[in-house]
Amino acid sequence: MPDPSGVTRPHLSVIVPVFNEEENVPLLVAAVREALGDGDSWELLLVDDGSTDRSAAEAAAAAAADPRVRPVELARNYGQTLAMQAGFDQARGDVVVSMDGDLQNDPSDIPRLVATLESGYDLVAGYRERRQDKLVTRKIPSWVANRIILAVTGVRIRDNGCSLKAYRRAALERMHLYSDMHRFLPAFAAATAGARITEIPVRHHPRRFGQSKYGLSRIFKLLADLLTLTMIAWFRERPLALFSIGAATAFALGLAFLGWSAVAMQRFEQASATGYVLPAATLLWLLLACYLLMLGLIGEVALRRAREAKPELLPIAVERA
Amino acid sequence: MSESSPDVTVIVPVVERPTSLTALYREFAAPLRQSGRSFEFVFVSYPWFRHLTDPLGELAAQGEPIRLIEAMQGVSETALLKLAAASARGAVLVTLPAYFQTEASAIPALLARVEAGADLAVAWRWPRRDSLVNRLQNRVLHLFVGGITGGRLHDVACGVRALRREVVQEVPLYGEFARFLPLLAMREGFAVEEVQSPVHPGAMRSRVYGPGVYLRRLIDVVGLLFLLKFTDKPLRFFGLIGSVLSGIGAIMLAVLFFQRLAGESLASRPMLLLAVLLMVLGIQSVALGLIGEMIVHLTASQRSRYRLRTSPARPARPEAA
Repeated sequence: MPDPSGVTRPHLSVIVPVFNEEENVPLLVAAVREALGDGDSWELLLVDDGSTDRSAAEAAAAAAADPRVRPVELARNYGQTLAMQAGFDQARGDVVVSMDGDLQNDPSDIPRLVATLESGYDLVAGYRERRQDKLVTRKIPSWVANRIILAVTGVRIRDNGCSLKAYRRAALERMHLYSDMHRFLPAFAAATAGARITEIPVRHHPRRFGQSKYGLSRIFKLLADLLTLTMIAWFRERPLALFSIGAATAFALGLAFLGWSAVAMQRFEQASATGYVLPAATLLWLLLACYLLMLGLIGEVALRRAREAKPELLPIAVERA
Repeated sequence: MSESSPDVTVIVPVVERPTSLTALYREFAAPLRQSGRSFEFVFVSYPWFRHLTDPLGELAAQGEPIRLIEAMQGVSETALLKLAAASARGAVLVTLPAYFQTEASAIPALLARVEAGADLAVAWRWPRRDSLVNRLQNRVLHLFVGGITGGRLHDVACGVRALRREVVQEVPLYGEFARFLPLLAMREGFAVEEVQSPVHPGAMRSRVYGPGVYLRRLIDVVGLLFLLKFTDKPLRFFGLIGSVLSGIGAIMLAVLFFQRLAGESLASRPMLLLAVLLMVLGIQSVALGLIGEMIVHLTASQRSRYRLRTSPARPARPEAA
């Protein structure tokens, strides 16, 4: 599709979310320019995530000096996930690369990422071979998080926290990031777009300017998001089946309690009020089973309404040569 | 209807605490007329309040710039505001409660802020003369919303506001949340400012409401907090409640299990019933959170969850001139 402004559409869009990185922006632009050369085949989108320093002005200045740089300014600080989604929405290239704005990723890795992507993948994740970060506050939480993500999602990516990744447009059109989903973007892409995923090693530099924007990631939030992620595959097709499993479990527990109460009643011949504890617990489990079934039905209603409002794109599928 | 559109449209939703609207109009129109801005007043109300709006109709017949809009009883204040905004012809809107909150001098001050670049300016009733209960309520509210306002707003519920018309169109408003418009606008990334305004002498008598009013406000605030924090991540809310409840239930079951191993009979222990009840409640809460996540996921592609400051349609660099 020709760009309405008449400018040829670039092949590659590099997306960099920027939050309070005023010193890094000019260096970043220079590094990307050096890595990608003088051609017109790329664009650099600097997504300012409501910075309170001069980042937005630096991005505008870089754009004025080089037409391949495009600033995108968010109205406030929305967090990295939505900043990346804003970049994806604005990107014009068929291939999109995301990276951090703090210069810890090396833009000279971009051509290798793109080449790997074009050899037959929809998402290529970088992993930091020799990570230049503090051990206790950064590396260990990251290691724990990666192990949890692997265990829950089964997507074999050893470094989910590395922002340097390449995507095909087809994959991005099928995923809409929200909450903190950027933390396990490959698994999200696999669950929602059916993307073919691989990873390659990339360089990693220590931080030169500014403050690190992550801290110890909070495990509870991660777990809640991961639970959602594992359920997405079910949500998208048959929510009733998902809730039926829970309902069946509750029903089985109810039956077990029923049996227990029958045995207990036989044995003690109880007529006093305390004897009703077990039958009452039985009823609670059966109640839960009914409740979960009804929630599953509500899920079916929500799914149907959403699909009526907007039909879903088919997952990515490629015919092998 | 042929005259040119006015500078300012003043919207007065007449929903509660009715006072003499002609007196209100006379008092608030005077400083606007003095400031040299052209204006119109739009009163939106229910047929129920015709005894109040009819005198305004007479004023309009005498040539005063007054328009009356009537909606069915039961339409919310938010819907009235949107109705009025849709028919407003001024580029800048002023909202005014149908009773005296601040001095009329607040209006030109608020308008000046909007004309200087703010998206919304809200009056801060100060110095505040109000009953202890109401002041306490206000403090608690602002304690809760401090994370969004950054402590910069002191009276988000004040109904005297000036705003650009786009704000009403772009902030997702529904239910009872029009009351918190400055807060929601700030969350959408609009520039919100406040102007200290003296309290109107007519509003000075300190008022204590019935418990029903405070209960309704409490429900509003709880709804607001949920809206602001968890609409994109319901599982974090329901999951936290659910895991705490289930966790307590599981601990109690474990205690009972060890007592059973020690030879005690469980069939008559009410604690067993409580443990099962807590587990069931916890599972229900998590299941509800999952349904919430499902709705968020299914609708993720339908609305972008961020707002850009510079519209992407504007070229990143000036057209070659």
